[in-house]
Amino acid sequence: MIGPGTHLSRSVELRVFLRSLLLQASWNPKGMQNLGLVYALYPALQVLYPDPEKRREAVQRHLTFFNTHPYVAAAIVGGVLYHEERIAAGEEDPRRVNEFKGALMGPLAALGDGFFWLSLRPAAGALCAALVPWLGAWAAVLFLVLYNVVHFTLRAQLFRMGLQLGDRLVEAVARAHLPSRGARLRAVAAASAGAAAAYLAFAFGAQQGGVGGWLLAGGCLALGALSYVLVARKVPTAVLTAMAALLAGCLGAWL
Amino acid sequence: MHAGWGHVALAGAWGALVGLERRAFLQAMFSRPLVAATGMGLLLGQLQTGLYLGMVLELFYLGTASLGAALPENDTLAASGTTAAAAMMAAQTGGGGTPAIWSLSLILFAGLGLLGRAVDRRVEAYSATLSAHGLELAEHGELERAVRQNLWGIWPYAAVYFVLNVGCAALGMWIGTFLSQVPLVVLRGLAWAFPAMASVAAAIAARGSRARNAALWGLVGAATMTAATLVLAWVSE
Repeated sequence: MIGPGTHLSRSVELRVFLRSLLLQASWNPKGMQNLGLVYALYPALQVLYPDPEKRREAVQRHLTFFNTHPYVAAAIVGGVLYHEERIAAGEEDPRRVNEFKGALMGPLAALGDGFFWLSLRPAAGALCAALVPWLGAWAAVLFLVLYNVVHFTLRAQLFRMGLQLGDRLVEAVARAHLPSRGARLRAVAAASAGAAAAYLAFAFGAQQGGVGGWLLAGGCLALGALSYVLVARKVPTAVLTAMAALLAGCLGAWL
Repeated sequence: MHAGWGHVALAGAWGALVGLERRAFLQAMFSRPLVAATGMGLLLGQLQTGLYLGMVLELFYLGTASLGAALPENDTLAASGTTAAAAMMAAQTGGGGTPAIWSLSLILFAGLGLLGRAVDRRVEAYSATLSAHGLELAEHGELERAVRQNLWGIWPYAAVYFVLNVGCAALGMWIGTFLSQVPLVVLRGLAWAFPAMASVAAAIAARGSRARNAALWGLVGAATMTAATLVLAWVSE
């Protein structure tokens, strides 16, 4: 059955999910992800609204400002389908779906930024960067696997939650305890960065050999510690890097 | 291995792919410096160059993130462009990559992150016109065309990052022809500069991790690695 009162088929849901991977294709300062959202939803709106006028209204409903974290947006996209099914069946006021989007995009963006951008990615990145000397190119592969197993699993789960729970997805997302997991991941990132610094100092020191090698290794470790303090005092990172390069370069040339 | 224009084109193609993956499609982190630089090194036959530059740039940009509407430096262009240039320099010398070449690339192409950010702003302005056009088309009932405007936002990333990476690779190839004339003392200085810059990058990463007690965790990591290195050195003796 097509039109009001219908439930979307699995293939339409899958198409919407896959098209949501292009959510940011036309990210812009005015509507932000508005065009990407409508692009993702369109296959579902075509099924739910066979009447061209109703479909036009539905498309325009979602061309308003929309911005959230691109991964957790899957939950909102799923939730929008949940509401649109009910709107098409005449069970809900069309304003309800925009209220749903407006209420969730901010908090979910904060959650996604905190967990994915500021915890999982730095942890996986620093850990795999520190493993480069042992794993070589496989460190990059390991990074992609570690990151994307979590990323795609959560993205698919969030979409399903939105689709099945609608507004109640907030409670389900809260039960995932993402902020506390993020804190542990950030500690992994810091420890891995320290390990990478030590490895690089010793590896390049050993390559140099002799007294110069020990000087280089010790100097790099001291430079790392000093840089940490200076970064904390808001010294620009470009200035720090340039100064370090100049200092080490002069020493290397002189010795 | 000798550098050729085929390699330059290959650098452009990989740069375009990771450049559009960063923002427009998927965001599965192929665009992170560790992956973008390693891939570039692998494609240009200079894997070690890609690995070490990827490692350092991953640490350097570890804490940067696109939060809300904020636009950070473009870590992907920094990684792909710097590695393309370094790999072409290394290939021109006829040998593999060296810390001196890596340092030189990092110094010469340090502005790529900022250039990438400026490009991203331009592309966003173009996307705003797509959004406005989409609204107009939707009002006139041309819904298929309206939603397809989203796809028009992809090509600028691919095109611009193709051109920029081709430029970096070609520049690297050209600079590589002069490397044999660089005095040994300068090369030695550049070789020392690489681990120094890597140390700073690691400190920036530890700070950028935003971990509670980041200094302590960084110290634990460094101490563990130091102990492991010393034990390994002692055992191998």
